[in-house]
Amino acid sequence: MKNVIISDATLRDGSHALSHQLTREHIAQYCRAADAAGISIVEVGHGNGLGASSLQVGLSLLDDREMLQTARENLSRSRLGIHVIPGFATINNDLRYAFDYGVDVVRVASHCTEADITERHISYTREQGKEAYGVLMMSHMAPKEVLLDEALKMQSYGAEAVILMDSAGAYLPVDVLDRVGHLAASLKVPVGFHAHNNLGMGVANSVAAVEAGARIIDGASRGFGAGAGNAQLEVIVAVFERLQIKTGIDLYKALDAADIVEKTIMAAIPYISSVSLVSGLSGVFSGFAKHVGLAAREYGVDPRDIFFELGIRKVVGGQEDKIVEVAMELQDRKRRG
Amino acid sequence: MQKKLRDMITADCQEVVGSSPEALDRLRNRLLYVTGGTGFVGTWIAELVCYLNERHDFGTRLILLGRDLDAFRKKAPHLAEKPEIQLVSSDVRDVIDLPAEVDYIIHAAATPDNRQHMSNPVAVMDSITRGTATILDAAMNLPHLAKILNISSGQVYGRQFSAGSAITEETVGALPCNSITSVYPGAKRYAETLCCAYWSSCKLPIVTARPFAFMGPYQSLDKPWAINNFIRDALTDNTIRIVSDGMPVRSYMYPSDMAYWLLRMLVDGTSGMAYNLGSPYGITLGDLAEKVKQYSSMVSDVVVKGMHEDNSVFVPDQGLVSSTLGLEIKVPIDETLKRSLRWFRETVKR
Repeated sequence: MKNVIISDATLRDGSHALSHQLTREHIAQYCRAADAAGISIVEVGHGNGLGASSLQVGLSLLDDREMLQTARENLSRSRLGIHVIPGFATINNDLRYAFDYGVDVVRVASHCTEADITERHISYTREQGKEAYGVLMMSHMAPKEVLLDEALKMQSYGAEAVILMDSAGAYLPVDVLDRVGHLAASLKVPVGFHAHNNLGMGVANSVAAVEAGARIIDGASRGFGAGAGNAQLEVIVAVFERLQIKTGIDLYKALDAADIVEKTIMAAIPYISSVSLVSGLSGVFSGFAKHVGLAAREYGVDPRDIFFELGIRKVVGGQEDKIVEVAMELQDRKRRG
Repeated sequence: MQKKLRDMITADCQEVVGSSPEALDRLRNRLLYVTGGTGFVGTWIAELVCYLNERHDFGTRLILLGRDLDAFRKKAPHLAEKPEIQLVSSDVRDVIDLPAEVDYIIHAAATPDNRQHMSNPVAVMDSITRGTATILDAAMNLPHLAKILNISSGQVYGRQFSAGSAITEETVGALPCNSITSVYPGAKRYAETLCCAYWSSCKLPIVTARPFAFMGPYQSLDKPWAINNFIRDALTDNTIRIVSDGMPVRSYMYPSDMAYWLLRMLVDGTSGMAYNLGSPYGITLGDLAEKVKQYSSMVSDVVVKGMHEDNSVFVPDQGLVSSTLGLEIKVPIDETLKRSLRWFRETVKR
C-alpha cells in the first residue's frame, strides 16, 4: 500500500476565493477539524502567501501573525504550513517571525522557470531545522525537461520535496503522468502535486500524480481554492481509500471538516464557471478570476477575452496589474471596431 | 578563536603527524602556493603547516590565495597573523604570475556547494576550467616547481552502476552532459584532463586528489549536506529528518586526516596519478543520524521518512593510497562526530 501525505490548502488557496477575508473564527474552527481528521499539513495564510497582503494582490483581513497564531493554537497533530513566494515574503521581515509562531513546513514557491529565487528562503528554513518544500507554480508553462532542471535546483538548495502546481488547472491526466513521472524518476526527494479544477480534472489529476510517483498531494476541503477551486480534499481521501493509497486521514472527520468549510467559511461552493474554464484553457492563473471579473465589468469587455489575451502574453501570478492593462486594450479595440 | 579550540586543532595535527614528521621533510624551507587558500581545505593545510613549523621547525611558508580575506581573518585570526603565511586577495582566474620562489602548488579553488553549482552554473564552470588553466599556465614559468596538487572531486566518478562496492581510481561512471547536476563534476573532469594534458605535453609534475566527504572544524553547518544538517539539527534540538529510507551509504573523513593525506600526496604522489581522498569506512545515513543523536545527547528524534528507496554507495576505495603512499585513516567516524560536535558547540554558541 502506498503512503501519501495530504497537504491541506483550504486556509491558504481558499483565501483567494474569499478575497483574503478569513477570520480568526474561520481559522480556529477549521484547524481544529483538520487536526482531528489527522491531515498531515495545514497551510494557512494569504492566498499568495506570507507577506503578500497588499493593494496589488488583495489585502488580508488579518495580518499574517494573527493567522499563524490562531492556527498554531488550534493544531496539535497536524503540522502548520505556509506558502512563501520570495519577493512577497522576505527572510527578515516575514519568515523569521513565522518560525516564532510555530510554523513547521515552509513551501517556497516560484514561477516554474525561476527556482533560483528560492535558494535563500529554502536554506534559511533548513537552517532553522524546519521542513522546506520547493514549489513550482504555473508548471504547465514549461516543458518537463525545464521543470526537472528547476526542481533539481530546489533539491540542491535543500528542499525536502518539490511540488508541481497546476496553478491554472490546465492539465489533463496524461500531462500529469508525463511531468510528475519525469520528476519522480530523477529527483532524490519526493514529488508533490497541487491541482486546480478548471477542467474538472482536480481529483483525476491527483490520482494520476500518485500513479506517476507523487508522494505529496495538495487538496482543499470542498475544493475551496482560487478560481474553480482545488482538488476536493475529502474526495481525494475517499478515492485514495478505494485505491488502497494510505493518507492517515479519518474520512468521516475529513467530511466534517468539509462541512464546516461549506457552512461557515465559503460564500459559495467553487464550481467550474465559464471564466474558470477559460482560465484553464488559456493557461492563466486561476486566482486571477476575481480580478478579471472586476476588470471586465469596469471596462465593459468579455472576461473570457481577457483570459485568452493574458494567456497569449503568458502572464503569471504577481502580474495582476496586467489584467487592467489588457482590459483597457480590449476596450480600446472594441471602440475602434 | 578560543584557546581550547586552537588546542583541539593542534592535538588533531599532532595525531596525524605522529612521531614521523620526516614523511613530509620535502616541505622543509619550501614555499607552498594554495589557491582557494582561505576555504576549508586551505585553512586545514595552513593549520598543519603551522603545526609542522612550530613543533618540528619545518620553516615552510605559505601563500594563501582567496577572494574573501576578511572572512578568513575572522575565522582563523591566529593563522592570519602568522609571519609564515601571506594572504593574497584575488580570483584564481586573475592570477598572472606566481612568485618565482614557489616550490609547490595546491590548486583548491572551487566551491563544492551544490547550491552555487545550480544557481550560478556558468560562473562555477568558468572558475574551475579557466582557473585551472590560469594556474597551470602560470606554473609553467616557475623555475623550482616540485609538484602541483590538483584538488578534483569524487564526483568525477559520475553515476555508479555497481552499487555496494567502494570506488577505485579506475572506476568510470556515467555523467550526463545535458544535466545541470553535471556542471561541477563535468568541470572537474575537464580540469583533470587539462592537468593530464599539461603533464603529458609540458611535463608539469601534477598529481590529482579526488575528495569525497568530510566533517570537522572549519566546515559550515549551513551547507545542504546530510551530515551538516544532522549536526545542525542536533545542536539546535530539532528533529533530524531523513527523506529516504536511511540506507544510502556515505563516508566521512576528519579534516586533519584530509590535510595530512593532501600534503603526502603533494610530496610523494606520482605525477600523472589520481588518488582518492576520503574515508573508506561507509555508514548508512540512518546509522549516522543515530550516532549524531547519541553523541550530541539531543532530546529530539531521528525520523526516517522512507519516502523513497536509496541504496546508493559513495565511498572511496583506499587500496591505492594505502599501498603506494602508506596512508590510513587516523580518526574513525565516532571520533569524527564527537570532535565535530565539540567544535560546533563552541563555535555555534559564539
